[in-house]
Amino acid sequence: MEDLLSYLHFVVLPQMIDALIIGAALALVALGLTMIFGLLDVINLAHGDLYMLGGYAAFALLGWGAGYWGAIVLVPLLIGLVGWGLEEAGIRPLLPRGDRAIVTLLLTFGVSLMLRDTAQVVWGTETHAVAAPFTGIASVAQVFVPIYRLFVLSISLAVIVATWWLVYRTRIGAVLRATAVDPPMVASFGIPIRWVYSFTFIYGCGLAGLAGVLLSPIYAVFPTMGHDFLVLAFAVVIVGGMGSIIGTIIAALFLAQVQGLASLWIPPVWAETLVYCVMLLVLVLRPSGLFHRIGEA
Amino acid sequence: MLQTNTPGMSTTPLSTPLRSRVSQRLLQALQSAGCEPRQLRWFAISMLAIAAIFPWLGGSFFIRLGIEALLLGTVALSVDILLGYAGLLSLGQAAYFGLAAYISALMYLHVTQSFWLVLLAVLITVGALSLALGAVAIRAKGVYFALITFGAAEILSKIAHNTRAIGGSDGLIGIPVPRIPLLPGIRLDLADNLAFYYFVLAVLVLIYLGMRRVLDTGFGSVLRAVRDNSDRVPYLGYNPFWYKLLAYVLAAQIAAFGGLIYPLLRGFVAPHLFGFEISTKAVVVALVGGIGTLLGPLVGSVIITFLESVVGSYTERHLFVLGAIFVVFVMFLPDGLLGLARRLTRRRSGRS
Repeated sequence: MEDLLSYLHFVVLPQMIDALIIGAALALVALGLTMIFGLLDVINLAHGDLYMLGGYAAFALLGWGAGYWGAIVLVPLLIGLVGWGLEEAGIRPLLPRGDRAIVTLLLTFGVSLMLRDTAQVVWGTETHAVAAPFTGIASVAQVFVPIYRLFVLSISLAVIVATWWLVYRTRIGAVLRATAVDPPMVASFGIPIRWVYSFTFIYGCGLAGLAGVLLSPIYAVFPTMGHDFLVLAFAVVIVGGMGSIIGTIIAALFLAQVQGLASLWIPPVWAETLVYCVMLLVLVLRPSGLFHRIGEA
Repeated sequence: MLQTNTPGMSTTPLSTPLRSRVSQRLLQALQSAGCEPRQLRWFAISMLAIAAIFPWLGGSFFIRLGIEALLLGTVALSVDILLGYAGLLSLGQAAYFGLAAYISALMYLHVTQSFWLVLLAVLITVGALSLALGAVAIRAKGVYFALITFGAAEILSKIAHNTRAIGGSDGLIGIPVPRIPLLPGIRLDLADNLAFYYFVLAVLVLIYLGMRRVLDTGFGSVLRAVRDNSDRVPYLGYNPFWYKLLAYVLAAQIAAFGGLIYPLLRGFVAPHLFGFEISTKAVVVALVGGIGTLLGPLVGSVIITFLESVVGSYTERHLFVLGAIFVVFVMFLPDGLLGLARRLTRRRSGRS
């Protein structure tokens, strides 16, 4: 009994805390993905690479002396801007097409390849470390957690709650949810749909950029970081239900725990595979995910 | 049936009233796929003639690149059957390419040297996996299909990457070059580049003609109906599920043929054969050649493979070029090169 308690306390608990932090950051990336899908019907395959660009932008800004705090404010804006450019130039012309879900997926895939290669040209293929603003380690009840990770957790949770509040408790959110269900009806109320779409894209991509800044001191930055993260974010969005805000948050936290806890008992690389298996299982049982799409209930 | 314009409806492609001129072109390209057999036949024959004299245009590097293009063409062809005829976008078609490559490599290394036994093993394994995965993926509609196939290929790639028994991230090397007993008394030596090239070309031509034949039957018509309006087909008494599933299994087998041959060409297999890059390259190739034409993907594959080889000799940045081609074709040439050629010839004949 004693052994079990200390095992839970010193092995399982720290792992769960770590997974919680990863889950919260994962939710940031997945939220952008799910909002963009929910409103525009676009699966943004470049989303992972925007997350990667966020990491590199933080690395570059720190190098130019902007400091971490400068980076955390500027990078989401910058990446939001890149996302806006993508939406204006690439996505918008394709939206009237009947098969837009498929053609935009192909388009964003092409963009994703270009971004990844550009990052390799500019910053090389090697891994770059990014310095964290805090280096201390906090200890609560003999569980040690780096302060920076607690910072990542609190920022992520704050942004997640803010996003929820924005979508479900504000006028902007009401417009977003209405647009997800019936764009022509929203347009007939005199609301410019194209700005609603642009806002969604900027906000969603900004979230990916923020996640890039937050995680860069933990994982460092490298050109393929976006691809690896995107696959995980997809699993989250699928399990949560494409286009569902609440579902995405819950699924991100849940899948991060699955991966974190499983890697206690099986090799970490297999834990990742397990996450995809959970995803496939959910798809078999409930092909449209566990929760409703944004705007529906 | 009243069509509304909610985002969810757009998962049935080409059925919304809002249709730009660009997608009308795409629609024409798709519809005319089976309707202009004469024009397409002449194009196919001239392509075949070029393919036949092709090995004499360059050295052995050139021939082997040609074989590689044809093998990539199998994956692109299988993407085209799914996307162009069944309306299913698969982002994980490399799963079958990679699976077949690993089975072929493992059997040649450890089990048997008999090509026909290897072929049988590949047919059975790929058939079983594609039946199971297809049944899951097809139940999920629209973009979910793309995501499931993507996820499944990713799982296979991870498994190959993490299993030391099959070489882990290094893959398997030293796969022997076999002789294939085609007929009693005639053995095909794959060490001979020319023989290898013509063997792959011949099988691909057979696959192409076979698929053309299959898609011209009632099966093909139902499949096209499913693609254009999946909701209405059940009222005509057909269950779309079985038609999509059969198309999926057929497509998987075609990609698997490419995978089966690949290790014999390169002498090794590695986890990247399952990977995202091959799956998506196949989609680019099909898109560049022309979706829904069967011939387009093969033409596109040759163009892209050689383009990559040329670009690759000048710069490392072939991914960027690939991505840019993708973007240009999606935005400006959605019906691919074959569609472009068809539009040009049609305009000319329209004027005269």
